[in-house]
Amino acid sequence: MVNLPVRLGSPAVAAPAGVPPVAPSRPLVEIEDLDFSYGVTPALKDITLGIEPRKVTALIGPSGCGKSTLLRCLNRMNDLIEGARITAGSIRIHGVDINQRDVDVIELRKRVGMVFQKSNPFPKSIRENIAYGLRLQGLRDRARLDEIVERSLRGAALWEEVKDRLGESALGLSGGQQQRLCIARTIAVEPEIILMDEPCSALDPVATAKIEELIQELRARYSIVIVTHNMQQAARCSDQTAFFYLGRLVEHAPTRDIFTNPANPQTEAYVSGRFG
Amino acid sequence: MTEPSPTSQPPDPAVFPVHKRRLRLLGLTVEDCIQAFFGGNAVISVVVLGLITFFLVREGAGFLGQNRGNLSIYRLAGLEYVDHLRRQAEDHTALTRYLSDLRLRSLNALTGPGGMELEAANARLAAFDAFASGFEDAADPLRGLVSELSEVAAAIKTRHLVIEDKKEERRQLLAERKLEEAAAVVIPEIDFAAELRPIRDSLPAYRVVNRDLAARLGTLLAALPRLAAPEFQPRVDRFIALARDFLAGFPAIERDLEAWDHTRPVSAGEAFPAFVFGRDWLTASFWQDWYGIVPLLTGSFLVALVALCLAVPLGVGAAVYVNQVASAREQRLIKPGIEFISAFPSVVLGFFGIAVLGQALRALSQQPWLAWMPGFPYSERLNILTAGCLLALIAVPTIFTLAEDALNNVPRALKEASLALGASRLQTTVRIVLPASLSGIISAVLLGLGRVIGETMVVLLCAGNRIAIPDFSQGLGFIVEPVHTMTGIIAQEMGEVVRGSIHYRALFMVGLVLFVLSLSINYSAQHIVRRYRLPSS
Repeated sequence: MVNLPVRLGSPAVAAPAGVPPVAPSRPLVEIEDLDFSYGVTPALKDITLGIEPRKVTALIGPSGCGKSTLLRCLNRMNDLIEGARITAGSIRIHGVDINQRDVDVIELRKRVGMVFQKSNPFPKSIRENIAYGLRLQGLRDRARLDEIVERSLRGAALWEEVKDRLGESALGLSGGQQQRLCIARTIAVEPEIILMDEPCSALDPVATAKIEELIQELRARYSIVIVTHNMQQAARCSDQTAFFYLGRLVEHAPTRDIFTNPANPQTEAYVSGRFG
Repeated sequence: MTEPSPTSQPPDPAVFPVHKRRLRLLGLTVEDCIQAFFGGNAVISVVVLGLITFFLVREGAGFLGQNRGNLSIYRLAGLEYVDHLRRQAEDHTALTRYLSDLRLRSLNALTGPGGMELEAANARLAAFDAFASGFEDAADPLRGLVSELSEVAAAIKTRHLVIEDKKEERRQLLAERKLEEAAAVVIPEIDFAAELRPIRDSLPAYRVVNRDLAARLGTLLAALPRLAAPEFQPRVDRFIALARDFLAGFPAIERDLEAWDHTRPVSAGEAFPAFVFGRDWLTASFWQDWYGIVPLLTGSFLVALVALCLAVPLGVGAAVYVNQVASAREQRLIKPGIEFISAFPSVVLGFFGIAVLGQALRALSQQPWLAWMPGFPYSERLNILTAGCLLALIAVPTIFTLAEDALNNVPRALKEASLALGASRLQTTVRIVLPASLSGIISAVLLGLGRVIGETMVVLLCAGNRIAIPDFSQGLGFIVEPVHTMTGIIAQEMGEVVRGSIHYRALFMVGLVLFVLSLSINYSAQHIVRRYRLPSS
């Protein structure tokens, strides 16, 4: 944790969560002229997008439009896919280009957490699921671990449901609980940004409502980027919405504008359900 | 739902043509035929498996009765009695071997670097030699008695066997309905009590021999000459302790001999333990045949153990590398490469073991800088180590392929979740992927074990084929001893045995043990996988 190969942002801006980190004039994440392709197949073309701190940004668009790809660019999860690469443009977080050679991708992923489409708890106990990220960082102090486990579970609104069975396997939880566990696991390592890739697509409406409620609470402390297929969800819980179509960013605006007064006719057609 | 139709006329098929039109062969549709073909194949394999099991059990089961007969005649003919004495003589021989080993060590110490000349050293050990030869000669009367009685007992047994042959001959004649000829076969009876009289009558003579031996050894031990080198004192003390134990056992032997009764029946319950716990596998012996599986079982297990010790790190390590670290190009190179090993016929591997590996390992063991290895240097080219190394080669592809599958089955989502939390690739592999695939890896290892236990050709060619339980007193040194294995013995002896003989059935019993072992290994492998399977995702 010391000796970072590169520090994300200058000390002045990389303040711990709780203090306003950047001037509102400058977005936290700046995506500039980004081109991305899987092998020879282009997936994103010419994306320029700024993501504001402490806001929920929803990425919407029909399947295959590249919104998940863009999300996975932000913590470089696309590194795992052979042949996938950024062909032009840059992504800067706190002004640091995260695709530079000297960026430690492990440090990056600690700062940019991710929640996946399908809940994927480890086949371990509930406690160990949360403690995993902390143990990776070398934290061994049992009391401190327990404290963070409790705080994270409370943060993910799961504490009351699981506090008596922290030692039991996480695989015994329901789908919605598992997804909240994954969120708790992510916030345990104190990221600045949380990426959510369709976090509710596999959940029933009640569990979805709980997650949406949770997102509303989390926005006070974290910057959230959420990919969703559910237009109502984007409308309900995001501040900004970006509409993608065929690998291009069609429109990016405050959510209310997108849904009530879209500038682009394609956006209007999509949000009103005429295609997608 | 279905309302009765207003008209009761039959439906017109032309209006709504949904009925199946099928080609029928012998009243069966094509689908039925295909189904019957596949189902039939499945049934055949199940039936064949059942038949094989039945055959194994049937052929093996006869062994118990025959072994009971085998043990009965051992007692009836007095072989058991003589073996009591023989064991005593052998214990004495072991003690004399200990003495000569001690002498060799002392001589080496005396003539070592900076030591004295050979002759001077021999002169120094003269007193010890006198003691040793006195010790050895003391048992001559005992040995004489043993060989005398052996002849008597062997003669009784031979007569018994001749009679058994005659009985068999008559049975066959009767079976062929040659009644007159059958009646002509004369079957004399043996009066065992009378025949055994020379043996029984030797008891007073034995008592004299025994007392004499005890007295002579006691005198000798009291005047044991001191060895010059003090470092051998512990060994001398050990010898004295062993010799005293030996002497203390005499009264027990006499009691056993007095109590011995040739008419005491061998119970059915004795034949099975004699097989399962028997420490000797001795066949076609003039004296007594023993069918004990322990030496073969230990041989098989030790070879498998050495093989697994080599194959598990190699196979699992390679699987982890290929699955977690290697680039796609490396994968394309390594995977077929390892799987190619299993294309070698095992007889070729065995041949390679004899011609190359055995030689190379022995040459290696004689390197002075490897002398610290257990059992090194050694002279037997074919032994547990050679066979184990080759069997490891056979097990590696199995373990590698199955372990790689197990690693592959770990959901990609788990890996991604770990990486997204800031874990390195190594951390993800060690903390998430390996634990999640552990059950699969264990079952891969078990199936590798099954493969190794059942492998025949390599052990037959390379394990040395000495039927003996290795000597574990030297620690890990046992791995360079030759052994024989269950599979090896079946392959080697099955061709030579008389069908239906006790030896033939004993081999089937060995096969049965192998079958049960493999079955339980495979079953537990499957059980482990099923029990700890991750929820599919």
